[in-house]
Amino acid sequence: MANERNYVSYATATVAVAAIPLSFFGPGDLRLAVIGLLMLAGPGTALVLLLRLDPPRSVQATGALPLSIAIAIAFSLAMSTLVATAMVYARLWSPPAGVCLLSAATLGLLGFELKRSRRALAGAK
Amino acid sequence: MTRETAAPVPVRSVHGRTVRARPNNAMPPTHRNLGLTSPWHVGALAAVAAAALVLGVSSMTRVDPRQLGGFGLVQALPPSYFVALALSLAGFVASLSLRRLIPALLTWQILVAVIILHGPDPIIHGLPRLEASFRHLGIVDNIVQSGQLDANLDAYFNWPGFFSLLGMLSAAAGVEDLVGIATWAPVGVNVLLLAPLLALAKPLTANPRHAWAAVWLFYLTSWVGQDYLAPQAYSFVLMLALLACLLSVFNGWAWPAGRNRFSAWLARTVSRLDGPVPRQGILEPSRANAAILVVACALVLVAMTVSHQLTPFAVIPILAAFLLTGRLRLRFLPVLAVVVPVGWLLFAASAYVQGHFAQLFGSFGDVGANTFGVLSDRVSGSAEHRFVVYARLAEVALVWGLAVVGAIAGYKRKVPWLTAAAGALAPLVLIPAQPYGGELLLRVYLFSLPFAACLAVLPLLSVKTAGLALQRALGLLLIGSVLAATSVVTRYGNDGMESFSDDEIAVVNHLYSTAPTGSILIEAVRNTPWKSQHYADYDYRALVAGEPSSTAATFSCEAANQIARNSGAYLIVTESQREAVDLRGATSPEDLEQSIARCGTSPGWTKVYENAGGVIFHIEGVSNGK
Repeated sequence: MANERNYVSYATATVAVAAIPLSFFGPGDLRLAVIGLLMLAGPGTALVLLLRLDPPRSVQATGALPLSIAIAIAFSLAMSTLVATAMVYARLWSPPAGVCLLSAATLGLLGFELKRSRRALAGAK
Repeated sequence: MTRETAAPVPVRSVHGRTVRARPNNAMPPTHRNLGLTSPWHVGALAAVAAAALVLGVSSMTRVDPRQLGGFGLVQALPPSYFVALALSLAGFVASLSLRRLIPALLTWQILVAVIILHGPDPIIHGLPRLEASFRHLGIVDNIVQSGQLDANLDAYFNWPGFFSLLGMLSAAAGVEDLVGIATWAPVGVNVLLLAPLLALAKPLTANPRHAWAAVWLFYLTSWVGQDYLAPQAYSFVLMLALLACLLSVFNGWAWPAGRNRFSAWLARTVSRLDGPVPRQGILEPSRANAAILVVACALVLVAMTVSHQLTPFAVIPILAAFLLTGRLRLRFLPVLAVVVPVGWLLFAASAYVQGHFAQLFGSFGDVGANTFGVLSDRVSGSAEHRFVVYARLAEVALVWGLAVVGAIAGYKRKVPWLTAAAGALAPLVLIPAQPYGGELLLRVYLFSLPFAACLAVLPLLSVKTAGLALQRALGLLLIGSVLAATSVVTRYGNDGMESFSDDEIAVVNHLYSTAPTGSILIEAVRNTPWKSQHYADYDYRALVAGEPSSTAATFSCEAANQIARNSGAYLIVTESQREAVDLRGATSPEDLEQSIARCGTSPGWTKVYENAGGVIFHIEGVSNGK
């Protein structure tokens, strides 16, 4: 379980970091795939990792994976929408800056998650 | 992927009889007595789905779009497509019948069903569905080019969230053409809906088997086609995720049961009517995490509000239904759900509201006009089109009928049904508001469908959690087959006018290359795949509305000449316009053809371009046109 979380964290961080240069230059299809993935699931995945929604396995409570995915997608899309809409209304239209902002939010949430994990680990020791 | 179960599995002997396990004579575990399914069985079911997918996709690639008739795609699809559909349905029911559910297998089965049922448009036509898709691409292009909003251009710019989102993607990725995304949107949106639907169905149903069956039924009966590249599709994804999150994390009464007489009566009534609150899918995060999720839910609500006019107003009655059935403990959230969209209407979209006050609120409270009036307008056109409309009404009646039977079954069996029933009924509150361009009933059906599907599966499945009896499995397969086959007719019945050909796109592109910027462009009938570029660069007009109505204009040379009187204009007539006239009966198809032929030879009219997809005329004005 911890391994799965780590893999998802690394993948999310990779997408968030890669999206920053790709929002300025790079092959079109790669830019579309990476930036699209960030806007679709980046900040939300980081949020879900931070929240640790998985309940303990029990007879009644089954995995929270569908809810985690739903929150990850909805929160990412909402953040992307609000950033883009704010830029248009503020007449500060700069899509690469918007993508950088989303990457920063994703990395920030991942940073909090890392901090929380370390604190929990220290508490367990 | 873990396996799901909701109850201990009884220990059975190899002969199927229940045996008492003796501590000193314990039997070695086997796949059977652990309730596990052998790998070859799982592999065989996955292979059935794969075979259905290959057969379905290969059948669709063989379809000739020119063979579409009055009944739409169903006439052009080969029998092998329906074999693939049947295989997919049988594969899902067989996977659902396993003693222990395998989520990965069920997900695969549903994805295959989604591609077979919702993939024909991109696979067969290879172009976006509905002229609105092209219009939406044009709005995105306009925002990317200008970086601003022209709220006076049309209503879309007062709810720009979705278009700004796509604009940011397009501009940041350096991809100007989003036609590919628009083409595959029906499949993409349905795939995106899977997790929110399942997360919503879990706390509404008694066990995982019901939840999976409800999601499957949703896809089989989601014929309204609001899954193209549009703000409503996007907002629907957000809405379902929001509702799933609230039901799963903030479950419970918003006030103490004995606070006053009303709350005591309400709690008593709900506990008497409904089964126990299901534990599946319910989470209890820490206070800090819950607070973060409240903020996330509020942000989703705001994103929905800035993107679509109607969806946030559909959320309000659903949240009220959750509140009154003791399934939402956040009292302030329904209030926020009212304040945010109303505030947006009053402040951000005030220019639109002032200019369209009569249109927005003119029929407020007129339930008859908003229901029967709209329906009578829809039941018109060719005999084939009327058949498709009646099939749609029959499918809606069947789903809602099953939901009513499910509610009664839930009440009798003491399993959860009340919140699903309240959620299914809540969107009906929108009906007195306004007809929403004649589309409100479609939207109400879509908003209620995730809840109605949770109820509709109740009579078809047993309360027992392990396995599915043969009779029930066959019943589920039969109902699923009827609904899926009907959906092929109801969803693709208008395909003749909702899909476009490369020839039509070539005609539109030629129009843009011919007509100077600022020209008046006239479509004979409102159904042209244009505006995906140059959204604000031309003066777009339509002679005949796509929808039939008693006050609708008919096509005439005089009307076109009148528009072109001063500066000239270009008239475009396409195949899908002719199909729209034929299907919907906005005007007589023969009259349209004769009028166009007569106009084409009249003075001042010049044929500029023609191919199999349509024709362009230039009409001279007083100043000799532009």
